[in-house]
Amino acid sequence: MMNRRDVLNLAVAAGAATALLPSESRGKEVAEDTSGLRIVDTNVSLFHWPFRRLPLDETEALVTKYRSLGIAQAWAGSFEGILHRDIANVNRRLSDACLNWPELIPIGSVNPELPGWEEDLRQCCGKLSMPGVRLHPNYHGYTLDDPRFAQLLNLATKAGCFVQIAATMEDTRTQHPNLVMQDVDLAPLPDVVKRVPGARVQILNYRPRGPVFERLAKATDVMFDTARVDATDGIPKLVRTLPAGRVLFGTHAPFLIPEAALIRVHESGELDDKALRAVYADNADSAFWKNGL
Amino acid sequence: MNFSLRPGLPSPKQLKGYRIWDSYFTPAYSHPGSDGSSGLIADIERAMPAVRKGEFEKLCYFPHVGIGTTSDAEFEKLIRSRSDVTLKAMERWPNLLLGMIQLNANDVPASLDALNRWLRDGPMVGVYFRGGGVGSLTCTHPNFHPLIERIAELRGVIMQHTWFVTGGKQSPGASTPSELAEVAAKFPEQKFICAHAGGEWQRGIRAVQNSPNILVETSGFDASAGFIEMAVRELGAERIVFGSHLPSRSLGTELSKVIAADISKADKRLILGENFRKLIQRPID
Repeated sequence: MMNRRDVLNLAVAAGAATALLPSESRGKEVAEDTSGLRIVDTNVSLFHWPFRRLPLDETEALVTKYRSLGIAQAWAGSFEGILHRDIANVNRRLSDACLNWPELIPIGSVNPELPGWEEDLRQCCGKLSMPGVRLHPNYHGYTLDDPRFAQLLNLATKAGCFVQIAATMEDTRTQHPNLVMQDVDLAPLPDVVKRVPGARVQILNYRPRGPVFERLAKATDVMFDTARVDATDGIPKLVRTLPAGRVLFGTHAPFLIPEAALIRVHESGELDDKALRAVYADNADSAFWKNGL
Repeated sequence: MNFSLRPGLPSPKQLKGYRIWDSYFTPAYSHPGSDGSSGLIADIERAMPAVRKGEFEKLCYFPHVGIGTTSDAEFEKLIRSRSDVTLKAMERWPNLLLGMIQLNANDVPASLDALNRWLRDGPMVGVYFRGGGVGSLTCTHPNFHPLIERIAELRGVIMQHTWFVTGGKQSPGASTPSELAEVAAKFPEQKFICAHAGGEWQRGIRAVQNSPNILVETSGFDASAGFIEMAVRELGAERIVFGSHLPSRSLGTELSKVIAADISKADKRLILGENFRKLIQRPID
């Protein structure tokens, strides 16, 4: 029987293969062939967004789309992890779903507001062999200066897991009026990260700007994804602002259209081939795989 | 270096086939620079790599014409007296740029004069009403009536900025799609473009659904999946026009909404250019 590590190895191999598959049209756009370019999406979610159906919210449809786009690997959290409280079951469903698709790498949910969250973390990083966990502090109702967050980061790091923090899931201006979630306040993060040597943290869906971003850029090794970095030259600017290796490709699909982030990385023509490859996959590979597993 | 890699984008040939006309190009949207053009031209140049990659045929931007759409008195005075300054960008990219002047409904006489100068006498093809800040006014205000009547006489396009912000308006001059629908009902022969489809497009689309003279514009919010599919289903593809919001937003965010949507290629062609071309009833060189 294969363990998660075997599956991951297969996933890497499958990624190279899927990049070579011909694009399927099915009445949809035929994207440019990305043969030879490895793409790792560090920010995907499976299952149903709580507020509306999305075109790619069935896993098979998402994987089919990703194969057509040449995306070799996707780190998949679960939309269920935002509001469900039976988190152990959420993580089991996610793990099971990912076993059917070698390019999907499950990223578990942990909610430190729930009793027994330490066991959820243990399950994710142990039995379920997940390489990381994803947090939603705003939806789960805690701040990053809460001692439980530092404890979680410490335990995850000791277990070899990275931690993704979703700074937001949706623009506050378009959220459901009865469930408005402000973006996560990242100001406490630099101090917490400093207290946990070896911690690997990635912030998702963040619009980098202002003094908090400057502190995160200078005082930490925290990484960022590209999902909501907008402006035609926004991603090259972020790459230039941060030390090498800290911008990882992420789409926030299926809530956002995956092509949006794919195009934004290259549209300005400001990143050379090496930098493009770093953002699309190499940074993710080196930061979270080679060092982490 | 290998710039042939362009993941997510259709081939240049496919993109050219769409004949993309961008209805919402926003270089130096708030202020084109104290000399009237340097900031604007720099921002257009900033957008050009994406414009070329997207194979855009034309882009429509929103020039200020000195009627109080900025808070810079010196600049306002300059462009009131020097039409050549306003025309500088269009002269540099004559085959690429179209213009819809920014009107100020708070100042009806000056706006009527500007309509004569820039729409009647050319080369602008329409007007843009802001959604907040200097020069903005909610579109249900009676000041809009004489302006719309004159724009209709001149066969101009009307682009109204709209947003439905969760929690309510964030600016006193803001307009919502529901308010635009009220105005549009009074002028059934005039077409209106509901910029950003209201931002929160699920409400925005519903608000204008029964207003056949309103089209929705696609830019100005994250590339949230399902937008175009809902808009085509509820309004029909002929009531949607593409906007890029470049360079403050991106080719990726805005073009992907249409090219990645699960709709027919014929509908994509309508949205990406044909509908906007039909709206512009004035001859374009």
